[in-house]
Amino acid sequence: MAFRSVALPGIGTKYELETDNGDTLAIVYLQNGRIQLYSSPSSGETCAVELTNPESRRLGSVLSGAIMEAEDEGVEIAFSALADLRISVHTYPVSRTIEGMSIAKLAIRSRTGASVIAVSRGAKHMINPHPEFVFETGDTVVVIGEADQLKTFERTILEK
Amino acid sequence: MQGLAVALLVCLALLVLSKRLAFPPIPFYIVAGLVLGELGLGIVAADEISAFLTRIGLLFLLFSMGLQLRPDQIRTRSTSFATAGIIDGAVNIPLGLLGALALGIPFYEAVLIAAAFYISSSAMAVASLIENKKLFLAEAETVVWLMVFEDIILVLFVALFSAQGQGAAYLFARTAAVIAACFFAVRFARKPLISFLSREDELPLVFSFSAVIVTAWLAGMLGVPETLLVIALGSALSQTVPVVLEAQIHPFRDVFLIVFFVFFGISIDFSGIPPLPALAGLAVLALLSKLLSGILIGRIVHRRAVSGVEIWSHTAARGEFSIALAAVFGSAFVSGTVAALVVITSLGGALLGKYGFALFRLRALRNLAESHRLGRP
Repeated sequence: MAFRSVALPGIGTKYELETDNGDTLAIVYLQNGRIQLYSSPSSGETCAVELTNPESRRLGSVLSGAIMEAEDEGVEIAFSALADLRISVHTYPVSRTIEGMSIAKLAIRSRTGASVIAVSRGAKHMINPHPEFVFETGDTVVVIGEADQLKTFERTILEK
Repeated sequence: MQGLAVALLVCLALLVLSKRLAFPPIPFYIVAGLVLGELGLGIVAADEISAFLTRIGLLFLLFSMGLQLRPDQIRTRSTSFATAGIIDGAVNIPLGLLGALALGIPFYEAVLIAAAFYISSSAMAVASLIENKKLFLAEAETVVWLMVFEDIILVLFVALFSAQGQGAAYLFARTAAVIAACFFAVRFARKPLISFLSREDELPLVFSFSAVIVTAWLAGMLGVPETLLVIALGSALSQTVPVVLEAQIHPFRDVFLIVFFVFFGISIDFSGIPPLPALAGLAVLALLSKLLSGILIGRIVHRRAVSGVEIWSHTAARGEFSIALAAVFGSAFVSGTVAALVVITSLGGALLGKYGFALFRLRALRNLAESHRLGRP
């Protein structure tokens, strides 16, 4: 379970990890800042991908589970040009309480200030759903707003 | 300035082409030099400016090679590092020498060609491993450390050729003393150097550039080969913050090296060099001898001959160091031979890097067919 690190002069550094079931992972930090990720199952062919630095950080945060869980995740967006503008985007699984109700009937915007910007149903994704869109159990909604507005959404709409 | 401008524009176009084809650019530059120079269209001729830029390119190449010679890392390498390196040298240097002598090349030039024949291109090996996504393999480790070993041997060759015709023992002693002083100075100033190089402003940039130029000037003053001293400086400074130095030097090296390669091509004189078929024969021998050394390394270090084919596919290309040797120590006649060697092996090597695995697959299929034929599973 320990990482083995190897210096590769002219290339960078390689870190290798052998998993408990005998598969091997290797991560190579290239001198140009990119990262190559190799996975080699104990049986079968090795696969490789090359990641940019931001991509590898995003991958790292998914792996560490620090920011997000698959069902319920949020990100806060800050713009370098608009220093004090903070927008949060959050996903929620649709709860029983709003099943069968439309966005208009729930009056989400007027009651919470937040907006539903997308709904995911199975393999289908609806971007900017119509106000008459009716929720079903199993849907995942993507809601945008200020952090406070999202809190209100959780409390009043989802009744968490 | 016009010649330089034309050469750079042509190289820029060729670089775009080489990226698109995913081929190493070095052979393109050399051929561009041949075409632009007196032997071809006669558009560009070497002058003082190009000579100076060429020299700077070479110094930066050797300095960044020195940065890879990290005494601390080399010391901790296992014996497989030396084993692979010794096999590589023991196969390729004698074969290169024999090949050159067979072409009727005089002994001194033949030794020079043997050295150029032996040294693989580190730049192309690294690019091949990264672009073909082979870094995962244990063989990749062998390849990059083989390049380090070859660099060490290159230093010995440079020392050997520098001492030609002078009071060799005295020169060696003087060079060794200056190099020791260089290492000592860096060791002594290690802490301040590290904090200096870790700054965020332009100081590390100016320092890296000046260090190389000042060292070359000092080498001239002290009467020691600047090539060796610049490599030693790189190796000594690798004990500070090599990543920073490498990053600072990188842009200079890349630009000046293009000038170096293209003007190397321009400087080539084909008069008196072996006929083209003989040169092609030498290049094919160069490809095959790396296959032989690769297979031996694969057998002994990795216990699999196919590992050797993998190693071969990344190390078959000769490049920047072969040309550097020819440019610094060789006559125009050696340059022509080495240019042919580099152009053919680097293009061959690039094909091997890309399609080497297909070769391996073909082999595996054949093995399978064979075992079926023999009635084994």
